[in-house]
Amino acid sequence: MTPSQHMRTGAHTRLSIILRIAAALLGGYVFSWGFAALGVVVLSFAGMDFHDAEHAVMLLVFIVFLLAFLWAFIGRSLLRVWAVLAGGGAGMVAAAWVLQRSLLG
Amino acid sequence: MFPSFRHAMTWLHTWFGLSLGYVLMVCFFFGALSVFDREIDRWALPDTRFAAQPAPSYDTLLKPVFERLKPHPDDIKATQDRVIGALPDPDTLPMDALYYYRTHRDPVLRIGAEFGIPNKLKSASDEHAHAHGWATIDPRTGAVLSESQFKIGSEFFYPMHYSLNWQWKNIGYWIVALAALSMLVALISGVVMHRKIFREFFTFRPWKTAQRSSLDLHNMAGVAGLPFHFFFAITGLVIFAGWLYFPVSTTLLKPLHDHHEVLEAAHTGLAHEPAGVPAPMASVDAMVLEAKRRWAARDMPGDVGFLYVNHLGDRNGYVSIFRAGNDQVALTGQGVHFEASSGRVIREDPPPSAVMRVNEFLTGLHLQHFRHWLLRWLYVLGGLLGCVCIATGFIFFVEKRKAQHARISSQGSRIVDALAVTAVTGMVIAALTMLVSNRLFPADMVGKDYWQKVVFWGGWALAFVHAALRSAPVAHARINPAWREQCWVLVALAVAAVMLNWLTTGDHLLKTVFTDTYWPVAGVDLSLLASAVLAVAVARLLARRERAQCRAGSDARQPGVLATAEAGHA
Amino acid sequence: MPELAWMLPCIAVLTTLLAFAWLALAMDAHWRQVHGGAVLTPGVRVTLRVLGGAGLIASAVLCFIADRPSMAVLVWLMQLAGAVPLVGLALAWRPRLLRAAWPWSGR
Repeated sequence: MTPSQHMRTGAHTRLSIILRIAAALLGGYVFSWGFAALGVVVLSFAGMDFHDAEHAVMLLVFIVFLLAFLWAFIGRSLLRVWAVLAGGGAGMVAAAWVLQRSLLG
Repeated sequence: MFPSFRHAMTWLHTWFGLSLGYVLMVCFFFGALSVFDREIDRWALPDTRFAAQPAPSYDTLLKPVFERLKPHPDDIKATQDRVIGALPDPDTLPMDALYYYRTHRDPVLRIGAEFGIPNKLKSASDEHAHAHGWATIDPRTGAVLSESQFKIGSEFFYPMHYSLNWQWKNIGYWIVALAALSMLVALISGVVMHRKIFREFFTFRPWKTAQRSSLDLHNMAGVAGLPFHFFFAITGLVIFAGWLYFPVSTTLLKPLHDHHEVLEAAHTGLAHEPAGVPAPMASVDAMVLEAKRRWAARDMPGDVGFLYVNHLGDRNGYVSIFRAGNDQVALTGQGVHFEASSGRVIREDPPPSAVMRVNEFLTGLHLQHFRHWLLRWLYVLGGLLGCVCIATGFIFFVEKRKAQHARISSQGSRIVDALAVTAVTGMVIAALTMLVSNRLFPADMVGKDYWQKVVFWGGWALAFVHAALRSAPVAHARINPAWREQCWVLVALAVAAVMLNWLTTGDHLLKTVFTDTYWPVAGVDLSLLASAVLAVAVARLLARRERAQCRAGSDARQPGVLATAEAGHA
Repeated sequence: MPELAWMLPCIAVLTTLLAFAWLALAMDAHWRQVHGGAVLTPGVRVTLRVLGGAGLIASAVLCFIADRPSMAVLVWLMQLAGAVPLVGLALAWRPRLLRAAWPWSGR
């Protein structure tokens, strides 16, 4: 391996580590947000008291965050990690919003 | 990216542990001190060294105190930023709600109130059109404690462990949350990395190399404290989850939340809004008596923990009285709600749902309002185990790398080591300087609260500077003498704090333990002395090691050679 | 009975410590630390393990008698957390202390 190749691999690794950390923290946070929002709405929809639903979700949300965080580092494809965490989180937020409207409307 | 699952876990453990371990040290150490925050308050405020008090009479003692309570200038400033137009004179704002709050360890009583404001709010999502006032009073006389009577335990050490006392944009809370999440990650990755959990359950070999023995201690503290560390990290996050970290019900799901509030108000009979019709207030003392009678009838006698009056002076006003959780893990509970104008019982809270019971248990086990001194001390031990675990993690990191860093002239382990000194002995020194300054500054000094904080942060900064200046030996794979020197500073400060407490208040240990027993102050003094004794032992041990290294170093002539030999040996 | 209220947790703590001492002695390395070169026979090892397990259960029972269940489970778990490092430190610096838990080296 020539020095320049070595440097490129080094820079590549550094970038991929930064992207993993970002996926774990930001992606994991968005995913957990989506889980929390959708969870509260779904439990309310199923007839649970709002505050009960909120507390039940808050007890679980950091476990979800923790698992998402760990998965961001062990998932094979960085693209899939980002897609599932950020995309899935955004999807759940949207679903929560729609379901809330149908619940109130 | 990582060749294997174990590699990924090791990387996470090392780098997240290292970068957020400094914050975790603060959380665990000040968390351990927070177990006895009220007792540290007593030590710091000699005027409040009297026995814990029952809830005082509202009708005769608290009512006039609340009438004198005004919005707090700090909160008026914060509220002004949220509203359109200038606020009226704070002294003219009407009091809409009031509360008091106490535990079985409080001689003093915390009270507070919400004041209505006529202004429109800037943000449509901000519905809380109130200014707040608060105070701490002597429940025997109703006298208000001055603001400079700063409660070091419950107003500084306690918030330190969850917010780093860095309130700007709540950034301290976010950093602590990141640290707590890293703690959970470190626990899981640590279990994956540590294969001999049961075989090395009790293993600590101080006679082996520093690298090996620090890893032994790291594993032992981590494994023994695992349930404690896991539950305290996660319950700490859960406590603030709904308010700050995942505020779904005040943002995205606000419509659903508000809808539920209205339904709930109809269901419980506790009015969500005032009626706009003035009404007098019936005897609150009679309501407290009735609540106590109902608790006793359910075989859970107790005193008031939290009393809340909403829609004060309005026909829809109600009084909610909650029982202090001395004998339960949950903080408060068994609420009884009264119509304020008549004293009629509107509602008695039903037993909590399964979810709420789990939630109350988990948050209650962290916030610990119960009366159980053994468990309190075990919690202190748990917190200190956390500190041991993290500090030995730092030491292991340094020991593993310093020989190699010395060979390639890298400063990495030197920096980590200096920061570790700051996070271990430096942090204790900072806390001690605050206690010493509390006894040195006169009681009536203007801004005493501010200057005590200055001393705290200044003491900590000096400890860092000292650790950094003395860190050169680490670059040659030897011990930083700052560890030992700061141990001696710690000894001097701890002994000075105990002596100053005696000189300025006359409360020496013979008095507080034997003749006029007052455990809150005696406990703080004894803990200070115990820390001093431990620090002496550590300082002497370090001195022996430094001498041994020096001898070995002069034999080998070149520190790099010694380091290589040492590394090869390990 | 205020005496009982104090006694029970104290006995529970001692039982936990004793139980962990037995469990530690059931391991070869720690047995050697405490009893010198004496050999840990399989019979003694099983006895120590059973005693250790029974001790932990006994301390749990004591905790549950002393407090209501929600509190007792916390006290018990925290006792375990506290007792492990104490036994570990005793093994490191004063291993002979653990002879009190099992004085017979079998020689």
